[in-house]
Amino acid sequence: MEILKIIFYTFSLISTVSALQVILSKNPVRSVLSLVLCFFSTAVLWMLCESEFLSIVLILVYVGAVMVLFLFVVMMLDIKTSYIKEGFVKYFPLGVSVAFLLVLGIVYSITYNTIISCKTFSAYPENYNNVKILGEVLFTEYLYPFEISGIILLVAMIAAISLTFRGSQKRKSQDVSAQIKVQAKDRVKLVDIKENE
Amino acid sequence: MIEISNYLTFSAILFGISVAGIFINRKNLIVLLMCIELMLLSINTNFVIFSRSLIDVSGQIFVFFILTVAAAEAAIGLAILVILFRKLNDINTSEINKLKG
Amino acid sequence: MNIESICIIIVILPLFSSLISGFLGNKIGKKVTHSIAIISVGISFLLSLILIKQFLSGEVKLVNFTIYEWMKINHKLSFEVGFLVDKLTILMISTVCFVSCMVHIYTIGYMETDPGYQRFFCYISAFTFAMLMLVMSNNFLQLFFGWEAVGLISYLLIGFWYQKETAIFANLKAFLVNRVGDFGFLLGIAGILYYFNTLDFLTMFNKIENFMIADNKVYISSGFDVQAINFICIGLFIGAMGKSAQVPLHVWLPDSMEGPTPISALIHAATMVTAGVFMVSRMSPLFENSEFALNFILVTGSITCFFMGLLGVVSNDIKKIVAYSTLSQLGYMVCALGASAYAISMFHLMTHAFFKALLFLGAGSVIIAMHHEQDIRKMGNLKKYMPITYVTMLIGSLSLIGFPFFSGFFSKDLIINAVGASNLPFSNVAYFVVLSSVFITSLYSFRLFFKVFHTEERMDEHTKSHLKECKPVVTVPLILLSIPSLIIGFVTVSSIVGDYFGEAIFVMDKHGAMNVIKEHFHGTIGFGLHGFVSMPFFLAVSGILVSWLFFVKKPYLADNCRKLFNPIYIILDKKYAFDEIYQFVFVGGAKKIGNLLWSIGDRILIDNGLVNGSYKSIDLFSKILRTIQTGYLYHYAFTMIAGFLILLIWLIIH
Repeated sequence: MEILKIIFYTFSLISTVSALQVILSKNPVRSVLSLVLCFFSTAVLWMLCESEFLSIVLILVYVGAVMVLFLFVVMMLDIKTSYIKEGFVKYFPLGVSVAFLLVLGIVYSITYNTIISCKTFSAYPENYNNVKILGEVLFTEYLYPFEISGIILLVAMIAAISLTFRGSQKRKSQDVSAQIKVQAKDRVKLVDIKENE
Repeated sequence: MIEISNYLTFSAILFGISVAGIFINRKNLIVLLMCIELMLLSINTNFVIFSRSLIDVSGQIFVFFILTVAAAEAAIGLAILVILFRKLNDINTSEINKLKG
Repeated sequence: MNIESICIIIVILPLFSSLISGFLGNKIGKKVTHSIAIISVGISFLLSLILIKQFLSGEVKLVNFTIYEWMKINHKLSFEVGFLVDKLTILMISTVCFVSCMVHIYTIGYMETDPGYQRFFCYISAFTFAMLMLVMSNNFLQLFFGWEAVGLISYLLIGFWYQKETAIFANLKAFLVNRVGDFGFLLGIAGILYYFNTLDFLTMFNKIENFMIADNKVYISSGFDVQAINFICIGLFIGAMGKSAQVPLHVWLPDSMEGPTPISALIHAATMVTAGVFMVSRMSPLFENSEFALNFILVTGSITCFFMGLLGVVSNDIKKIVAYSTLSQLGYMVCALGASAYAISMFHLMTHAFFKALLFLGAGSVIIAMHHEQDIRKMGNLKKYMPITYVTMLIGSLSLIGFPFFSGFFSKDLIINAVGASNLPFSNVAYFVVLSSVFITSLYSFRLFFKVFHTEERMDEHTKSHLKECKPVVTVPLILLSIPSLIIGFVTVSSIVGDYFGEAIFVMDKHGAMNVIKEHFHGTIGFGLHGFVSMPFFLAVSGILVSWLFFVKKPYLADNCRKLFNPIYIILDKKYAFDEIYQFVFVGGAKKIGNLLWSIGDRILIDNGLVNGSYKSIDLFSKILRTIQTGYLYHYAFTMIAGFLILLIWLIIH
């Protein structure tokens, strides 16, 4: 099983390095792209855990849709990079120390528990089909959350559109309701001009 | 054989990196959002690992849903970012304190 | 018709007429109202005469029955409405009904032009009902109900002309001072309830012997305790002090003259103010056991008797003089109570009711004729214009000063003898006080008489031209009242001194004043003739002579006297400054406390502290909380992560 270990360490290393690149790079485009790399390598790791459906879904949905969206936004906005790196040095020690403490705590609790720390993956039973099992459970036991998640996506779509959509800027058609709503006091103002002697 | 604790340690490191990223990049909104995505990724990894080790498919189902919600949240977050940028022409978060109590 | 129904009808009829004149008075008109009222009270009076006949003939000894049980507490203590009729009661009933009837008739003439005619009849009928409930009650609850009800009606009647500011001041004063007395009364009743577990009179009287043996004590504070019997009796007597206007709770009676004269006659002479005296007589088994209370009563009575009489000498309002006279005579009655001569006190109560009502109604007749002028300095020589009033007032005044063979003589002399024969420590001083009050009484009453009916005419021409005797409806009650003032003393004195009251009044042998009186009483006529050579008679006659000298013959003597004794005159004129002291201490004190409570308690504590303070503290709190809401995203993220970190570390440690 050496090959598995090599794969694991390689891709986890790639993942970690690219994550570091996300937070440390000056260029926002570079951050986004390194995040994409991180996702890819994590997908490989998931494949190692024998959950192939999810790893493919990760790449298709997350990278293919969400990260592309990120890229769009980053490209669209004209970001003044000089302000961004303000305070980098100031907060660097704090951030690292907090993160370090956090990781330390989690790792300690993982390795302290001897049951977990010695366990390895047990084998799946025969005829184990990840997609099949997933489908069976998803459409019977978790049907309701499944439908709800569809609604969540609908709501997100509507929200995003209604937030950002301004209407076509170049439209020259008439807005009849706005025309009717106009009142005299919005347009005409009577001013009393006194006669000057 | 790869022990579970190795996987879990990896997940913890990813989480820690994203937390550090939040602290370091507090001025840059886009990187903040990306750090949140990183966090979600590390949690997803955790779920997958435990689902594999306990031979319970519920973990993977949950990853499903987390993915959905993460996507929706990313979309809306970016929409808000776009609008903010229209108003402020800047993604400097220290300018965004209009909701101050 | 059995006794019980008679009793109930006597009480119910005035209530019935009061309700009708109250609710339907405006619809049925004046004539029907006063007819109903007078017929009701008249029937009550006739029924009371029937009761007297039945009691005197020995048919009936004692009537004690319950009409209605209101509630029962713990299956032991019951609150009920019941009647206890014995010889003490029927004396009071007949007096009350007779005087009330006379006043009802008199009102037709006195109040004929008043817009509140029907309201007045409603009130005086209601008063009659309340007074009857009081005297016929057989338990403390009903007694207290009657007590409060007569106080209430007195309040309503004193302030009858409610648009007059002085009337409203007076009626509030009367009610509040009465209330102070009621506080003591309630404490006494509470003591009785606590120690005897019953409010019923007869049950309580039966339990007194055991109670005295038990020798209970009431602990007021550490190291200071009183005997329970003293506590109860003093409490009850304080109630009597408030109602019967003894010093220091006497201040309301002169002010109560703001009300119309008929009610001064009915309430503040004959009936309500005597309720206190009646109550003490009724409670004679209780009071006999408390030497301390009897001494206290004697002292109070003598103070009232003497000092109030002095005030009558310098007063110039015709009604106020008669009011001070009432106060002084109430002092007499209370002195007799203190000397354990309850029978004589009740006797004086009865005769006083008649002649004092007569004096008041006569004064009212004078006031009507003088077009509501009340100052005696502006009257004079009314003998020429108002003969009937003149004669009746003369009869009343002679009865008041105790001229032999008039009613007042019998009762007053008996009181003087009783106080003399009493063996209480204060009785010597009391005897001296009571004797000198005879002189003072005759001085002021004949000062009034001479200044109003004799001397020169001091009224203006307009009034003089209208001056004539009043209508019969006014003078007939005067005549009817002068008859008992003349003869009732003569007729009843022997039975009173004898064994009239019997079981109703209880006197212990060691308070032997009554026994001494009985020994020395040798028949009515003998007593009357002996009166001509006794000390009180000389004092009374010298009082008449002195007042004739000072006010008729040589008026300048009166003025010189005043200038000579100016300080005393000022003290008397200010009524011993009781009003000023009360106003300053109690009213002023209450106002200051109220002010203090408003400025500190209300404004600072409640308004600023609680109401304003509640929002200010919320404001402060939220100001602190607001600093957490910075609006910066990374602050929120930081907080979340920090919280998570803390949780993690805590979990690891535990």
